[in-house]
Amino acid sequence: MVSTIANVDVMQKDADKALVVAISCSAVLEDADDGDVYAAGAAFALLQALKSVNRQLVAANPDESLLFDVLLVTTDERRRRQSARIVSSTKHYGLEVSRFCFSGQEDFVECLLENQAQLFLSTEPEEVALASQRGVLSALLGHQTWSSPSEQLRVLLCGDDVVATFTPATQRFWSQLGALRGRFGVLDSPVSVSVMTAHGGRQHFGAILAGLRSRGLKADEAHCLAGAPRGPILEVLRPHFLLGDLAWLP
Amino acid sequence: MVKMSVDPVKVKELQICTSSNGEKRESWKETDELQEDHLGLTAKPKQPKPENAVTIAVSTRVLFRTELEEKVFEQHGVEEYLRYQIEHENEPFAPGPAFPFVKALETVNARLRELYPQSEELFDIVLVTYNHAHVGIRLINTINHHNLFIERFCMTGGSSPIGYLKAWQTNLYLSANAEKVREALTEGIAAATMFTTDKRTEVSETQLRVAFDGDAVLFSDESERIFKAHGLDKFFEHERANEDTLLDHGPLKGFLEALGKLQKKFYAKGQRLDCPIRTFLVTARSAASSGIRALKTLRAWGLEIDEALFLAGAPKGPMLEKIRPHIYFDDQMFHVEGAAEMGTVAAHVPYGVAQKHNSGVGE
Repeated sequence: MVSTIANVDVMQKDADKALVVAISCSAVLEDADDGDVYAAGAAFALLQALKSVNRQLVAANPDESLLFDVLLVTTDERRRRQSARIVSSTKHYGLEVSRFCFSGQEDFVECLLENQAQLFLSTEPEEVALASQRGVLSALLGHQTWSSPSEQLRVLLCGDDVVATFTPATQRFWSQLGALRGRFGVLDSPVSVSVMTAHGGRQHFGAILAGLRSRGLKADEAHCLAGAPRGPILEVLRPHFLLGDLAWLP
Repeated sequence: MVKMSVDPVKVKELQICTSSNGEKRESWKETDELQEDHLGLTAKPKQPKPENAVTIAVSTRVLFRTELEEKVFEQHGVEEYLRYQIEHENEPFAPGPAFPFVKALETVNARLRELYPQSEELFDIVLVTYNHAHVGIRLINTINHHNLFIERFCMTGGSSPIGYLKAWQTNLYLSANAEKVREALTEGIAAATMFTTDKRTEVSETQLRVAFDGDAVLFSDESERIFKAHGLDKFFEHERANEDTLLDHGPLKGFLEALGKLQKKFYAKGQRLDCPIRTFLVTARSAASSGIRALKTLRAWGLEIDEALFLAGAPKGPMLEKIRPHIYFDDQMFHVEGAAEMGTVAAHVPYGVAQKHNSGVGE
């Protein structure tokens, strides 16, 4: 049985208009040896960045409804039973989590679907795979992503077939993210969207750029590796998360 | 050409014009790394790994002429600039100061591939630009139009390119932005600032010709410091006394070294006389005196330079006009401007003591 609880400390968003991002609890809050409070996890910096973006969106337009709507999801029994501790840790860190979903391994995906999650982030490959299979756009954290504090939310779309493999879920996410990005100017934006192609040359690169543009996404940074190793480039780019058909590869 | 209407939603079919240089090469075997046809990519020679290649990073403002667009940016801001770029996406830019140099690099690559089909010791060109992704399509169309072989792009969308230069293992960075060039030099990357001039003498299409100033370019600025502080006589005295002491290296030494390595590949195949790379030292030092130390240093470093021209203080412009290099590196704007006046593409290396002075009076 999945229960979703609203976080009363945080302003609730209109889920129909917001960009719902679900994050696995273990990615945000790690076990700490002592105390009632969890330690900050890999997705901590990401959450801070989402909060910062929301703050700036509201500052620009107090009636803004296209905001990041963060859903914290437990994906195992142990954490499901620690709801009180999770809520208090969230409060302790001042995290802008709108809702909590206290689910387990078997039903966390139901929670994602019920809450119309447009993106699911986790540090566990199995969880990402399970959610993806049910049609939820998902990304793995902690693999070629960075958790150092950053003023700016950095999102990377990486791959060679990115446009061809667009599903309705992907399309909706990129349209929403594109619209959100569009609320800010070209320079000094709290959100940066980057595109990277791994193996193709410039013709392919151009086709991807044009294809993304026609689907409502204007990227900030664009990289065409044409076979060069991407590790060094990613270390400079420092995305909070990666999406795309080559997100898994080294 | 990409057919784009201003309203992106209406686009149904997108065509990017294919370049005529994407011929399939029969000598290449199908490997995993070769461009796969199912992605609709033409089979081109595999790009080298950055660590094996001599990587040249060029910015859009030096590879092409973008003065009009820069004016739009200055007068109307970035949003209008981007809108303008997208609107003119199908209009290729004209060649900029680095264009002949890049073309010459490709000529050398073609010759290297003939002799060493499997080798990755080639020039690799990466377009490194501040520009946002929006400008990408226009750049690709331009590259196609001019038949350039550029496949690697780094569009930083306003972020600093310096970190990326390192990630690409850049051997030489050419940009119009002096500040970024200085930053690159500080990070140990050979770099030079290029300027757009109208006058340009014709350069070879079969041989890459690169000319270097000596002090504060190939060598450190130690001797230049002596000259600036104490004058010409003291400079000669110092050089004489230190004739057998090697000069310290300068920011472009590594690039000359990289050129030398490629030259040796031609010599190994008996093509010394027909080598498509030629290097020049153009220095104000004198052959009989201060120049000796320069030559000894080069020899000790194991670097060959094809022609060493000791001008003993004479102006460099006329000599460069005879040499016709694709690029000439100098640390003093006075010489860079003098060269440009006579149609030579000169690049400024903002390194050393000369940067504190407005214009050098000779060396």
